[in-house]
Amino acid sequence: MKTAFAFAGLLLALTASLGLAVPAAAAPPPLPGAVEVVLDQDRLSTVVGERLTVESRVVNSGDAPTDRLVAHLNVASLDGVYVDLEDWSADVTREMAAVPAGGSRSLSWEFQAVNTGSFDLYVVLMPNGASTAGSGPLVVSRPVHVTVAGKRTLTAAGSLPVAIVVPVLLGLVAAAARYRLRRTG
Amino acid sequence: MTGTGLIGRVRDAGAGVGPVGRQSPGWQVVAEQECRDLWWSGRGPGLVFAFSVVLSVMTYLAGTGQVLNFLEQREAVNLTLQVAVAVGVLVTLVVSADAISGERERGTLESLLLTPVSRRAIVVGKLAAALSLWLATFVVSVPYLWVLGRGVSLVGAALLLGLLVGTLLAVALALLGLLISAVGSSNKVSLAVSLFVLLALFAPTQLPGGTPKGWFGDLLVRLNPVDASLHYLAAVLVTGHTWTRDLSLLLSPLVTAVLAGGVLVAAGHRIVRLHGGVSGE
Repeated sequence: MKTAFAFAGLLLALTASLGLAVPAAAAPPPLPGAVEVVLDQDRLSTVVGERLTVESRVVNSGDAPTDRLVAHLNVASLDGVYVDLEDWSADVTREMAAVPAGGSRSLSWEFQAVNTGSFDLYVVLMPNGASTAGSGPLVVSRPVHVTVAGKRTLTAAGSLPVAIVVPVLLGLVAAAARYRLRRTG
Repeated sequence: MTGTGLIGRVRDAGAGVGPVGRQSPGWQVVAEQECRDLWWSGRGPGLVFAFSVVLSVMTYLAGTGQVLNFLEQREAVNLTLQVAVAVGVLVTLVVSADAISGERERGTLESLLLTPVSRRAIVVGKLAAALSLWLATFVVSVPYLWVLGRGVSLVGAALLLGLLVGTLLAVALALLGLLISAVGSSNKVSLAVSLFVLLALFAPTQLPGGTPKGWFGDLLVRLNPVDASLHYLAAVLVTGHTWTRDLSLLLSPLVTAVLAGGVLVAAGHRIVRLHGGVSGE
């Protein structure tokens, strides 16, 4: 009997130790190292206010599919200018379905250069599966260096003559038409 | 329109001795008389004057915005063009909404129906007169677009695009206004319904741009002739798409024009008529 209890205790201890070991063995798999995100440009020069588009391509050259992913566009200033990402693009975070082994997916990022200065723009991939969300490592693209120059814009004073002259002329025409109508009855 | 004046002109045209000549079709006589009423009565010049005041305010604000760098020049041109198209179409709709129900209420429709001009010709003539107001508002918007767009070589494209898309939208909504005017029980009803329709169509254009709308939101944009047309303008002028890339957006104004025009042509003789119980004066 004692032997049976000892055997059962030993089995329990073994099972418990195995049970404790399970979570460590099932840690969320990180993004496969073979996944990369590639942008179609290295360097962009533009003037403030222009709209630009950068194409990104998520390539899975590994032999296992990725989990679901989140791709995020970010813009960082290299000369201390405050960057409000919302002003640059209204659509900076995209959910992506899993990329199959050997496959790729493309994403197009449209943004507007709203500040002058020197910026780096990059895309970062984060795992977003049920068990992988919140884990790493993150996959980051090479940056696109964006140089935004200022430009001479139209001044309010430039549009003022037209804004005044046109209604005045048309007002005179309308008044003349009304006057003529009154006179002719 | 003064029905009695038109009677004489149509008879003269029929006899080949009128100022419009023998070859002048009935719709042309109606259009000529409608244009004279619209432009000489002071209503047309007054509306165009009000339109220019709106555009002046818009242009000044756009210029101020650019000084602060909040508004890019392409967007300023696009914004002003969109306002020009929207307000131009609004005044066209108002004039067309008054075209038949107004005649009916002023007691001049009876005289007009007695002229040897078909109902279809009456509708086409009134449509042409309403569109003359759209063309006038477009001409007025030219200097504003020029002053805003000259720095980015956008004036020619903006003007051509505004003329084409705006005319398509103006034709669609003018036909819709004429249809409402023909079936409306009174002038008040047709004006109120037309303005409500325009506001309902225009309201979605004020939703914040750039936000993802999903397939249903995209479908709503494409179904709404005003929203779809303004989206098309922005896609070409601001985003830099080619003219052909988003042509499908112009389907809804085209379909609206075809449907409203089709109903007016097919059922014109039944709906362009006097209503029982409506007194003339």
